Amino acid sequence: MALLAGLGGLAHLSAAEGNDATARRLLAQAVVSTGPAQQKLLAQLGDSGSPAVRDLLAAWTRDEILIYEAPDGSHVPVVLEEQQDAAGKARAVRIDNSQYLADAQHHELRFASGDLNAGDSDMRLRGAIQQALDSLTLADPDPDARRSAAVKLGNSQKKQYIPILQARRGREPDAAVRKAIDESLALLQLGDADAAVQVAAITRLAELQALGSVDALRRAVAASPDPRVKEAGRRAVQSIEQHISTVNFFGTIFRGISLGSILLVVALGLAITFGLMGIINMAHGEMIAVGAYTSYVVQNVFGSGFGFHITLPFSFGGQLLAFGFTLPGLNATGWWYESYFLFALPLSFLMAALAGLAVERSVIQFLYRRPLESLLATWGVSLVMQQLFRMVFGANNVQVNSPSWLLGHFSLDDVSFGYNRVFVIAFAIVIVLGTWLLLTKTPLGLLIRAVMQNRDMASCMGVRTQRVNMMTFAFGSGLAGLAGAFLSQIGNVGPSLGQNYIIDSFMVVVVGGVGSIVGTVCSAFGIGAADQVLQQVLGSPVMGKIIVLATIILFLQWKPGGLFSTRSRSLD
Amino acid sequence: MPNLNDTQIIRRGLLGRIPARLELIGVIAAALVVIVVLPSLNAFAPEGSAFHVSDFTINLYGKYLCYAVLAISVDLLWGYTGLLSLGQCLFFSIGGYALGMYLMLMIGKLGQYHSDLPDFMVFLGYPKLPAHWVPFHSFWFAAAAVIWVPGAVALIFGYLAFRSRIRGVYFSILTQALTYAASLMFFRNDFTFGGNNGLTDFKFIVGHDVRQPATQRGLYICTGLLLLGTYALCKWLTQSKFGKLQRAVRDSENRVLFSGYATANFKLFVFVVSAIIAALAGALYVPQVGIINPSEMTPDKSLEAVVWVAVGGRGTLIGPIIGAVFVNALKSWATRAYPDLWLIILGAMFIVVVLFLPGGIVSIPRRVMARWRRPEQPLPPLPTPPVEASADPAKTSPASSAS
Repeated sequence: MALLAGLGGLAHLSAAEGNDATARRLLAQAVVSTGPAQQKLLAQLGDSGSPAVRDLLAAWTRDEILIYEAPDGSHVPVVLEEQQDAAGKARAVRIDNSQYLADAQHHELRFASGDLNAGDSDMRLRGAIQQALDSLTLADPDPDARRSAAVKLGNSQKKQYIPILQARRGREPDAAVRKAIDESLALLQLGDADAAVQVAAITRLAELQALGSVDALRRAVAASPDPRVKEAGRRAVQSIEQHISTVNFFGTIFRGISLGSILLVVALGLAITFGLMGIINMAHGEMIAVGAYTSYVVQNVFGSGFGFHITLPFSFGGQLLAFGFTLPGLNATGWWYESYFLFALPLSFLMAALAGLAVERSVIQFLYRRPLESLLATWGVSLVMQQLFRMVFGANNVQVNSPSWLLGHFSLDDVSFGYNRVFVIAFAIVIVLGTWLLLTKTPLGLLIRAVMQNRDMASCMGVRTQRVNMMTFAFGSGLAGLAGAFLSQIGNVGPSLGQNYIIDSFMVVVVGGVGSIVGTVCSAFGIGAADQVLQQVLGSPVMGKIIVLATIILFLQWKPGGLFSTRSRSLD
Repeated sequence: MPNLNDTQIIRRGLLGRIPARLELIGVIAAALVVIVVLPSLNAFAPEGSAFHVSDFTINLYGKYLCYAVLAISVDLLWGYTGLLSLGQCLFFSIGGYALGMYLMLMIGKLGQYHSDLPDFMVFLGYPKLPAHWVPFHSFWFAAAAVIWVPGAVALIFGYLAFRSRIRGVYFSILTQALTYAASLMFFRNDFTFGGNNGLTDFKFIVGHDVRQPATQRGLYICTGLLLLGTYALCKWLTQSKFGKLQRAVRDSENRVLFSGYATANFKLFVFVVSAIIAALAGALYVPQVGIINPSEMTPDKSLEAVVWVAVGGRGTLIGPIIGAVFVNALKSWATRAYPDLWLIILGAMFIVVVLFLPGGIVSIPRRVMARWRRPEQPLPPLPTPPVEASADPAKTSPASSAS
């Protein structure tokens, strides 16, 4: 231990110098030395924290470090460059000073891979190299990499890692990584022959509520003859499993709420076009896709620009018909580029609202009295739009990068919350509130409700119903566009994006009760939560979905009008 | 009233009503050509002659005829009873799967793995044939399953739907959800129906090699006879008192209900009958096309079948046949000539038909004649502008609604 502490100090020094040069010299020395000296040098290397050495050590395990015997009899370890000349030979890079190997006349030497021998290695050496590699990974500047390295060492069941982990534990600045190291240490100590050490490790694991240690604990309990170990292990497993079910429970609830929010955002537009206006808008999904593609275009405009070109398979006067346009890029970087999403949100709303307006004026305005036929005509619209997406953006999914402030997640007591999911929930709340305010507190909302309740009567009172229809439909489509901007942050954006959500959206509106915003909110969260819970219980997303659909059909037996049906005396 | 406009259209005589005798002569002539002449030309005309009908053509027409039967089943529901079902392709596929199971078992040891089990079961590691597959060794059991399985599914779903008075667009949305759920289920590998790839690579049907032209010709004739039979059955149904009731339910279900008819049972009967018709079409489709997989039962396919009916002319029996053949022939041509534009053509065709030609293709001659005969009385403009009038069809005469 004392030796190790001394070495640790030394390594600290070399890491403080911050250059790879020392580490490379050590490595070169290690390759040519043997026995205990080699082991010692490797241990030192493990503490150097040098990324260059990590790659070289990895090369060593692959036997890619070769030994050049110089004319003066000294041995120089080298690696060959990947780039080979016509004769299949490559320049050699010295390990110790990263210069090209040259002879006395400063001519660079070239070798084929068979020209030089690899350094001898045996099991023991390989083990030592691996250990050095692992401790280098433990010193990685990225905390996540450190954490996964610690977890890997903990699961290795090799006791020689205990000192390495302990050394790192003392220097680790990050609390999460410290916890992972503690867990790994306890896991390794679990394999100790001494029952007292085992019991201490078990207690420690139980204290840490180490989620990943249940299997190891079970194995230890089964293997150990000592009753103290058995008793402590049983209690630890129990306590950890309880913790796991709590974590799963809250995780499922969170996922359910976030799925519910997505459904809500997606279905809210439909709740307006279908629920209030009675239009079966099968092109609703394509309005979502319009929003998603708008985000894509805005992202590209902030980046290197966007353009497309379509050639139609018809010719006119001997010339193929073609059209296209290009938007120049802003080539923004940094926070300016990251802020593209803030511009994408309103633009998605606007573009989808305009698309909705066009559809309303060209098709739907003739179909207010024929809902079944509005279903058919809008399906035609949806086919046309899907194909247009394919022609403009290609049949494959396009890449929409999330701004960095939507990436990542934070953990509360082992339950992880993705920022994008949290954002969706907050956003759903905002747009539901906004919609509710618009419908109940503004003059436009009053007109919308009047027209939707009784189009004829409103018309008699002097409301310009055509215009209100137009505005309402555009608003509903715009909401779908907003949903699309969101989905672009969560999943893939492709021509059939809308198709994946259209049936779910209709289900949400039907279950919620047509024409009721409150009902839509309730059913979106209900369906979202049910879906996630069933997924958790059945372990299969598809089965969960099927059962939800079947349950909805049965639910409508009980409440044919949905959760919050509007009561009226009319028959149909 | 969801179907107010249908009523108006029918009252104005815009749906294609072809004179009865003309229709009869046309049907007999077409049946002769399709069932007798084409197969004979395929079998007996020498390969190089101008009269020869190739095996490919027979196969292709066989497919169209299956689609025509499916279209009639959609029309029986939608055109005559006012129930727009987006789940007809589910029944079509169930029928196909039922016969497909029999065909799979008839492959025997000739599959890639030379096992008694169908190839996909070997591939997915089934130890033995699942129990519900065993009886499908018998053709007659499979043939019965083609009828009773979709019938039972339709009976259960229809009972639940009609009992709780789900109608109009809600019925459409629910049938769509049903189809969607079923297709998700069939896409799963552990549902024992081949998952994604479905059932394929058939070899024998009742002792005949499926891939032989003679067998295909037989199947084609069967399809032609099925179409003729379906047509005759539906003709008889829709012209009897039953047909009157159908139309009454479509136009004003509540009045029929208040007149003492159990409309729910009535609709259930129609739903089950049309499910069985669709399933029969599916069963004949599978050996001719050689594959059945879950993509046949997606909601989109059902909607496509509705397009055929709308394009041909709903509320007639000739219309769906014409529509199915016309749209599919157009599809065969367009997907080759303009692969990128096919969906746009289909979508645009649909929009145009819904907006400007609610009676479909079969209504064109009548519209033209009406214009030609009474130029002083132009047809009321179609599409009808949103009429701000009473929702009660009884009060809605053509004159008052054209406000």
